[in-house]
Amino acid sequence: MNGHPTREEDFDLYALGALEGDEKLAIESHVASCADCARKLAEAEGRIALLAFAAPRVEPEPAVKQLLMEQIRAAAESAAPEREPESERASGRKWWNAVLIPVGAALAVATLLLWNENRRLDQQLAALHSSMQQQQQQLQDAREVAGLITASDTITVALAPQAGMPKGAAHVMYNAKMGMLMYDGEIEPAPSGKSYQLWLVPANGSPINAGVFIAVSGQPNHWMMKLPQGIEPKAFAVTLEPAGGMPQPTGPKVLVGAVS
Amino acid sequence: MNPEIGSEVRASDAALIERLVRRDEAALAALYDRYAGMLLSVLIRILRDTQAAEEILQDIFFQLWRTASQFDASRGSLPGWLAVIARNRAISRLRRHNPAAGEALAERAVTSPLNFESAMAQQQLLGRVKGALESLPKEQRAAIELAYFEGLTHSEIARRTGDPLGTVKTRLRTAVETLKRNLQPSSAST
Repeated sequence: MNGHPTREEDFDLYALGALEGDEKLAIESHVASCADCARKLAEAEGRIALLAFAAPRVEPEPAVKQLLMEQIRAAAESAAPEREPESERASGRKWWNAVLIPVGAALAVATLLLWNENRRLDQQLAALHSSMQQQQQQLQDAREVAGLITASDTITVALAPQAGMPKGAAHVMYNAKMGMLMYDGEIEPAPSGKSYQLWLVPANGSPINAGVFIAVSGQPNHWMMKLPQGIEPKAFAVTLEPAGGMPQPTGPKVLVGAVS
Repeated sequence: MNPEIGSEVRASDAALIERLVRRDEAALAALYDRYAGMLLSVLIRILRDTQAAEEILQDIFFQLWRTASQFDASRGSLPGWLAVIARNRAISRLRRHNPAAGEALAERAVTSPLNFESAMAQQQLLGRVKGALESLPKEQRAAIELAYFEGLTHSEIARRTGDPLGTVKTRLRTAVETLKRNLQPSSAST
């Protein structure tokens, strides 16, 4: 079958990734040769892309943008082509030009080929540089996790469920001197339009946001977060907040663990 | 927090892409400020791993920087394309496939009559999408979320939920019909 899809929603189902096997292949082979259906598929992709807005809003840390800008500067520096050497030499004799012009043209072609090759290699280098940066970051993160786990002054706090709230359990590892926190827990999914939010409740002062998260049934949440150093906690708590989290807790406590 | 400042706030995506092609770092920063929150949100929702999500986010914008000249802003929706790429990469990672690192800008056409370009427009869209999803019956909404956020096909959803395959197909078809109707520009409240 390579005719137009019989139902318009097939494009949306394809964009959603729900189709498989022959149904999927039929759409792919048809849109490759039908401009009208390719346009409909592009519109369906745009509609389905809107579902991205259904995810609880999380803003990136400023460090991510900073890393990106450093990455593009590093790539630009490594990709800058070298200036081509001057190929012409002074000569007063016309016959000499007759020799030099074809040789110069050949050199120009060779230089262009070399420059293209150079650019390709530079792009590979930039990609390797980017990959290396990511690996260094991962290594750094692994070192920080190891440091947190092995430090003698790291505390572990179990968070217990509260009566009448979604069921779950979690524990937090925290080191005030390092300003590092690691959360590991599993909790029932939040009601529609709500997110969970972890708070460090300091001995003095207002609670500090330690991560907004969504919970999926049967799947644990796990993350590590850097917080300002030197904050002594008296408790950790997970509260139920409007989707995307709040600057300060407003909802009920779902999990609570006091620091002993 | 809204890091967009100065003229970049009002510049269209097409104008910013043009500047990106001319290697204007401020244009990349403006597009990042405009769409990074939306993309990181969907990446974290899929991966439930902030660090992995941030890595993919950075990589997507680096790719945009390197290959901006391939994007024809008059024919496609940049945020739509970015959202498609973000979702594909996150699901590939979730399923431990190699991410499509070389996925070209022109490879997947995505168009949208809706405006994502300002923070306010994004906020309005967020309300409309959430409203459209919440208007679906619970089973249909769950099926859509399993397909979109977990990358499951019809038969994978049927296995996950224990429902007959035909039921899952009907649910998803009905759900996308309803979403299409509710997300049409003519149904916009503004």
